[in-house]
Amino acid sequence: MGANLEQVTTHEPGLALHVEDLTVTYGQAPVLWDIDVDVPPGVMAAVIGPNGAGKSTLLKSVLGLLRPVAGHVRFFGRPVKEMRRQIAYAPQRHSVDWDFPTTAVDVVEMGLYGEIGWFRRPGRDHRARAMAALNEVEMADLAHRQISELSGGQQQRVFIARSLVQDAPLMILDEPTAGVDITTEGIILDLLKRLRDRGKTLIVVHHDLTNVEAHFDWLIMVNVQVVAQGPLKSVFTEDNLRATYGRRLTP
Amino acid sequence: MSLLAELLGSRVVQLVVIGAALLGAISGVLGSFAVLRQQSLLGDTLSHAALPGVCLGFLIAGDRHLGLLLAGALVTGGLAAGTVLVITRCTRLKTDAALGIALSVYFAIGTVLLTVIQSRGDAGAAGLSTFLFGQAAAITRGDIQLMAVAGVLIAAVVLLLWKEFKLVTFDPESARAAGLPVMALQSALTLIVAVAVVVGLQLVGVILMVAMLIAPAAAARQWVGSLAGMVVLAGCLGALAGGSGALISATGRGLATGPVVVLLISAIVLVSLALAPGRGVIWRWRARRRLSRTLTRESRSSADLRRRHVPVRGLKR
Amino acid sequence: MITASILITGMLAAASAALLGTFLVLRGSAMLSDAISHSIVFGIILVWLVTRQLSGPIPVIGAALAGVLTVVLTQWIAQSRLVRMDAAIGLVFPALFAAGVLLISLYARQVHIHVDTILLGEIGFVWLNTRPIAGFEVPVSTLTLGLVLLANLLFVAAFWHRLKLAVFDPALAAALGLFPTALYYALMTLTSITAVAAFDAVGAILFIAFVIVPPATAYLLTQRVWLMTLLAVALGALACPVGYALAVFWDVSIAGMMATMTGVWFALALLFSPRQGLLVQALQRRQETLRHDCRVMLAHLLSHQGTRRMPQENTRAALVGHLSWPESHADRVIEHAIGQDLVEQRGALLILRPAGEAAARDLFARR
Repeated sequence: MGANLEQVTTHEPGLALHVEDLTVTYGQAPVLWDIDVDVPPGVMAAVIGPNGAGKSTLLKSVLGLLRPVAGHVRFFGRPVKEMRRQIAYAPQRHSVDWDFPTTAVDVVEMGLYGEIGWFRRPGRDHRARAMAALNEVEMADLAHRQISELSGGQQQRVFIARSLVQDAPLMILDEPTAGVDITTEGIILDLLKRLRDRGKTLIVVHHDLTNVEAHFDWLIMVNVQVVAQGPLKSVFTEDNLRATYGRRLTP
Repeated sequence: MSLLAELLGSRVVQLVVIGAALLGAISGVLGSFAVLRQQSLLGDTLSHAALPGVCLGFLIAGDRHLGLLLAGALVTGGLAAGTVLVITRCTRLKTDAALGIALSVYFAIGTVLLTVIQSRGDAGAAGLSTFLFGQAAAITRGDIQLMAVAGVLIAAVVLLLWKEFKLVTFDPESARAAGLPVMALQSALTLIVAVAVVVGLQLVGVILMVAMLIAPAAAARQWVGSLAGMVVLAGCLGALAGGSGALISATGRGLATGPVVVLLISAIVLVSLALAPGRGVIWRWRARRRLSRTLTRESRSSADLRRRHVPVRGLKR
Repeated sequence: MITASILITGMLAAASAALLGTFLVLRGSAMLSDAISHSIVFGIILVWLVTRQLSGPIPVIGAALAGVLTVVLTQWIAQSRLVRMDAAIGLVFPALFAAGVLLISLYARQVHIHVDTILLGEIGFVWLNTRPIAGFEVPVSTLTLGLVLLANLLFVAAFWHRLKLAVFDPALAAALGLFPTALYYALMTLTSITAVAAFDAVGAILFIAFVIVPPATAYLLTQRVWLMTLLAVALGALACPVGYALAVFWDVSIAGMMATMTGVWFALALLFSPRQGLLVQALQRRQETLRHDCRVMLAHLLSHQGTRRMPQENTRAALVGHLSWPESHADRVIEHAIGQDLVEQRGALLILRPAGEAAARDLFARR
């Protein structure tokens, strides 16, 4: 590790996500400390850890939504600014005002606004792609329903459809199954697995330890620092779990 | 009918009606974004913060030079919006406190400047009244032209940046992740709201400008399910209230334009809240009654069934 | 005497407002004070139409009721969930205000109700309306405000713990049978009464400044509610003599200057508060970056310690070249490390001190 420090400008194009030295503080309190993360392409990775331990912060910092104190992030070897179209992001459900006057298919279509240039309008093919994405999450019949009338699980699926429609090789999802019943959670996780099988890389903040093993193949365990990361089979051990969830790790 | 014709024949009335309708349309459109962003009261803060700008313009220009006054109002309004932003982002204080601080302090500075103007012997006192309540009757053709130009520019900006404004209003986080310059877009939206406020101050005054921004949008939201629909309907309702309010106020003495327009648009909001299909209060009350009637019917029929059949096991009768 | 009564009246208004304002700010209902202040115009004119009275207790009660009505209507609309709270506020008070202005211009033109005065007050004229008390001529508004301050003090003191809980956790307060809603409306009623009492002196709009700004300033300075209340009252009261002095010096609006001073205190706290101030935040960020980069440097130094490349790598030039640090930043980091006795400089070489070496090893161990 020490020898590599000079290669701070390393590109690591073989990795879907390469994070080096990420530190994020809130005032004087550390939220993320010296985080190093490497995610190979083609995996379905779960980010787990206790509440308030920095999981969402990790996603947001990596995407450039929060300003870190220090850190170095590369997606497939390039900085995030060049890779916006290659990354689909689904934030937590509560970050959005669900009382907004709009329909489900409209929300999904908004996922394409990044690729439609300035001053242009979405066209018929964009609408068709949005409908196709809704179809994949089994919400096609609710396409024209007001989002305020959707249940929590349905709203979550709309969000997933929105990241789906971008057809990006990397999908980053923040708690896509939060507040959702078991059946819907199963539907969502199965869909994500199908996407992984199609060759996409998924990084998912997940809160439910009971079904991590069944669905994910890569694990990143975070509690202010990275406790462990790697293939799920080797990392998902009792020792690591205790270290992650035991108490807050402060540097 | 002849009264109407008579009124409409008057040049002054025509100007006021057109001006009020224009203002209603502009504030309806922009208010939609403000309301959806939960920044309804930003209009209140911007209105009050315009006072020091107007005073400064007056002090610099020395006379009632409209363009400079409005420019001043825009500058201090922008500063106030910036102050609110800094306070909410950099401290634990919440939006309501930030809005209140900017509103009261900037207005206080404005009153100080006003007394400076007054001590110079200028027509300051009358100016404040106009500022607080608007002075529709003093509206000129030049003012209308200015409003029309502002309206066209605003409409153009909103149309061009429609999907960007929509995404930034609905989900600023995803917008940023998608690479949109969220700060710039939000500032642009705030800026054009400030322009609308400044434009409307003459007609309805500081205190009532808030209603012009919020009420048409709040009413429109009850009837439509798309942003485009809401914006268009809000503009229409605003124009309707503005124009008819101005007309009604022309019919009698003591009927100032601002208050009449605001009362009209408030009435429209009340009606919308009550009657809107699928959301309105009356609709919900009727739906609840229907549901309770169905439930009573069902429980009655199941009680009926229970009586006719063998009693439930374990219960001694 | 005149000066004294002006100052006392102002300070009474500021103190009364700040007492209640603390809880309004904590609860997130600051803008309701704005709504209440504007709608008391409606209350005053309505009372006048019915009773033809402009002074005395009846207009005070009427106006206060208008304030409460504003809050009730706003809550009612917001509760329908068709409109958000902030929009509800902005719907109700302008409508009431418009109704009030309209009624005045229709029926009360000839009466001495100047809406300007209601909204802006004129503290300099507070001396004009006095009552004899114990041989002294005391302005009526001073008396009223004194009573109001007393009432607010009693209320806040008597319900101190319940108010705190109701502000932070209304659900728990309700579950404990402490009636947060009743308390909330009591708070609003007192705010309305205070607004009416203050309008004579500082006007409705500047009353808002006294309600919101000193408590917000105090909020930036402390986390403890009792201290926040105390500071709010003190800051509000302090704004009065300073504002008065400046207003007299520059010959400008006294009330306006007093309210502006509350803004000045806020600006000072915003910049320099030891906990939340902007300056402190900027310094903290710099510190964090410095500390982090210091650790990076320690790791770098350790990894080359005792190797052949040490003379080239363990230098300032290497930090600039390999870590791509600007020269000034490299200097700052080195200075910080030397100051912490982690590193020493021998000629061009940077040598790890025992403490620095231990820290660097610790870093590697953790990885």
